[in-house]
Amino acid sequence: MTKLALVRASPNVTDGSSASGDLELKADVCIIGTGAGGAVTAAVLAEAGFDVLMIEEGGYYTSNDFTMRERDTTPRLYQEGGTRTTKDLAISILQGKAVGGTTVVNWTTSFRTPEDVIQTWHDKHAVKGFAYADLVPHWDAIEKRLAIAKVDVASMNANNRKLYDGCKALGWEVDTLKRNVYACLQTGFCGLGCPVNAKRSMLVTTIPDAIDAGARLVFRVRADRFVTKGNTVATLEGTLLDGEGIKPTGKKLTVTAKRFVTSCGALNSPALFLRSGIDDAPVGVRTFLHPVIGSAGIYDEDIYPYRGAPQSAASHHFAHPEGLAPSERWEGGVGFFLEAVPWYPSLSSGASPSFGAEHLAFVKRVKNTATHIALVIDGFHDDLAGGRVTLRPSGMPLLDYPITERLWSTFRFAQKKLAEMQLASGAKEVFSLHDPALHMTSKADIDRVIDAAPFDVGRLPVFTAHQMGGLAMGDDPSRSVVRSEDLRHHRIENLYVIDGSVFPTSLGVNPQESIYGLARLMATRLAARK
Amino acid sequence: MLLLGGGTLALLPTKEVVAPEADLAVLGARAFQVLAAVAKRVVPDTVDAATVAKGVDSLLRRAAPEAQADFNKLLGLFENALPGLLFDGRALPFTQLSPESQDRVLRSWRDSRFALRRSGYHALRRICLATAYADEATWPALGYSPPSGLNAAAYDDSKVGVSA
Repeated sequence: MTKLALVRASPNVTDGSSASGDLELKADVCIIGTGAGGAVTAAVLAEAGFDVLMIEEGGYYTSNDFTMRERDTTPRLYQEGGTRTTKDLAISILQGKAVGGTTVVNWTTSFRTPEDVIQTWHDKHAVKGFAYADLVPHWDAIEKRLAIAKVDVASMNANNRKLYDGCKALGWEVDTLKRNVYACLQTGFCGLGCPVNAKRSMLVTTIPDAIDAGARLVFRVRADRFVTKGNTVATLEGTLLDGEGIKPTGKKLTVTAKRFVTSCGALNSPALFLRSGIDDAPVGVRTFLHPVIGSAGIYDEDIYPYRGAPQSAASHHFAHPEGLAPSERWEGGVGFFLEAVPWYPSLSSGASPSFGAEHLAFVKRVKNTATHIALVIDGFHDDLAGGRVTLRPSGMPLLDYPITERLWSTFRFAQKKLAEMQLASGAKEVFSLHDPALHMTSKADIDRVIDAAPFDVGRLPVFTAHQMGGLAMGDDPSRSVVRSEDLRHHRIENLYVIDGSVFPTSLGVNPQESIYGLARLMATRLAARK
Repeated sequence: MLLLGGGTLALLPTKEVVAPEADLAVLGARAFQVLAAVAKRVVPDTVDAATVAKGVDSLLRRAAPEAQADFNKLLGLFENALPGLLFDGRALPFTQLSPESQDRVLRSWRDSRFALRRSGYHALRRICLATAYADEATWPALGYSPPSGLNAAAYDDSKVGVSA
């Protein structure tokens, strides 16, 4: 039996679907969710000697389950089987659900939180409990543990290389990025779970660390609600789920702990608070998404966009409009950054325009297609409040995220820049993902075609793979849910939130490393208060 | 008279376009037929419409119960001849239309001035395409052939890659 399989088979790991009766458990610290926030917190606390219990709704899958086939993996590894959307169906929400959370399915892109973002939190959102410098040693440690390192230009796949070359040709800032992989085989299937464990996700790093240090894990259990008494959480109540994670088995979980840490991620963490009646602060508001639009460039040469590391380059040239020359700025004025996306047959066909023969003709050109995206940096303007999480009658989260005119204007400008970059890198044709698609073959087409196109709900696909906010940190209880010094709830003395939902804005970079660093800092502070 | 006519249109039966499926988790029997009819127009013929509709039914088990109910309602609306007459100028349920007329209905929803109809079109289209292209039968036409069996090469140590 392999070492990771031994962890999976540890007596400290319980499959809730096969429990013969109700589970009543006690712990020093109960952590709900095992993604970037929860797993790092669990490892730090378990290694510090705390009795840690991890709770996870998703399944405990391993590399043997990661078959590189979406039919086997997407329904199991994504929230709502990959069908989650915003309330008006305008935005598709890609969010992981498994032991290891979204880190199992992300594309490995790793950035530290930009220093100016943390300064904005300090200045505008009363986040006074830590500074950028406090996070640095924790990022250093995480980068070592997860083998996070910068990609070299030579190892980029053609999809990313087109982004890199196009930006360079136009004089735009672009760079290779960092990935959390060790001896990556470049299969390209990071989004479906790494088949060879080259990705240093939580599944194969901090969760084994935590279990080795004595932490327990119960998976296939849905956290229903906290039961509070005065200003403390007394217990967590949960429902055990069947082997597919869909239906309740009829058995219950009750956890009594000295401290509870919510790490279910944006959307799910606010929903747990709302189900618990903990709504005496701005719970669920200011949820941010880095909403994404795409553009497909068709090249003479082979691209094979499903081969190689999904993401290895990024351009932040348009991330800070205020720093650009006036001639480079745009209506709407919201910053955005550019990245590449891999092509997976199910995900990408759904995002491709039209239907029937027209659709087939489009996807048949995949071998020569490079797809690039613009991710809009939401949350930094007073009139862009993001989305609000509420509860559906069933208790599941529902995100209402209105795409305002300002965002649509920014999408329109970003669509032009994507087309410009793809043509500059040699694309013979460029298609937006509108339905029907916009078609451009020269720079002269760009303004004419895109200015005449509708940018509105249901005209083009919008996605998010980065969910942030909803339980903001800060030191003003009227505008935040948890304190910034330790991420403890302002009122409830033993309740903490350690995940991406505490971010007061979006980040302007892919979020996983920001969550790792913050979690490690806050867990270390928590460990010091034994 | 208008009310009577409208009522008659709304009650027109759904045509059975594929063999009925007895074991559906989310979709109603009528909704299953409507979805199969949509799939016939949307996905390539290398995968059959009933397989796609069954795959969608299975996938939707994981969606929120409210989203499941909404999806059934959407298919009902798509099929219904009364709103079809008002919006698309057709007097027959979707399942009873010719393939060309069905494509016109799909485009009518796609190009509608109402965001709800556009979003409804994309919800149906995307879930059919995503389900169909998850099926390996659709891949040869794209020249797509992913590797398999790499799992045996997986690293088995949680500490692998940790720098000294």
